[in-house]
Amino acid sequence: MRASVNRPPTPDVGDTQEKQPTLEEIINIKFIESGEKERLMELLRERLIECGWKDEMKALCRAFVKKKGRNNVTVDDLVHLITPKGRASIPDSIKAELLQRIRTFLVSAAL
Amino acid sequence: MASHAQLSSHFFGDLLDSIIVDVASECHRIARLGLDRNLEEEEEELKLSAQARERVTDPNNSGEANSKYVVDIFGQTHPPIASDVFECMNCHRPIMAGRFAPHLEKCMGKGRKARFKGTRSSTAAQNRHSRGSPVSTYPPYPNSTSTNQLSNGTSGVAGEEYSNGTFPEP
Repeated sequence: MRASVNRPPTPDVGDTQEKQPTLEEIINIKFIESGEKERLMELLRERLIECGWKDEMKALCRAFVKKKGRNNVTVDDLVHLITPKGRASIPDSIKAELLQRIRTFLVSAAL
Repeated sequence: MASHAQLSSHFFGDLLDSIIVDVASECHRIARLGLDRNLEEEEEELKLSAQARERVTDPNNSGEANSKYVVDIFGQTHPPIASDVFECMNCHRPIMAGRFAPHLEKCMGKGRKARFKGTRSSTAAQNRHSRGSPVSTYPPYPNSTSTNQLSNGTSGVAGEEYSNGTFPEP
């Protein structure tokens, strides 16, 4: 029997469609397209520099680099190094400010 | 259905993760390019340069006699007192560069004796006086209204000496 005769049936067009985008994805698209994500990212960046958070993270990195040798360090190493400490050391006021802005956006963008 | 609070936290986390990656990337770049001067190897270099600097400043402090042996960054040595000779533009005498400042003091009249230099007649002295003369053909400042009077603050090049308004006898 020739293999070509027994090939599997062409998938139906309907089956190849992706699942419905999640709410999260829809909002994310709005978030990006409206420019709000960019604005909030810059706001957060600025706040984190002002309060010294960035300097703390850079100090952590420098210590790690000194220990490991500057040519033996990968971006991944550093990301894994500062992510837990970074997330935990966000000042509450900054977190609150950003969350408030995001909530406002959600309300305005919601459906 | 995710609540607003959950969604907000999720998006905040997203923003934070992006910023963390940026910081890590920046630190990685600094590390790999050796832009951070505080690592051990650079510490060695810093120590060496500090030592070198001490060596350079020491001989200078111990007097001019030793500075002949100090070498600059081009490998040249210089005598402690500049020895080039040129012509003074005031009195036209040959002067040693390292002695030019004290010479100028005497020559241009900071000292007492120089004020009465007119008795040692020379073209230079005549030029100096004529610059401040009331009958000078060109005023020292474009905005001076009268060339016949020497008023405060508008005197010529050697103005300091004449600021009291009087004109010394030639």
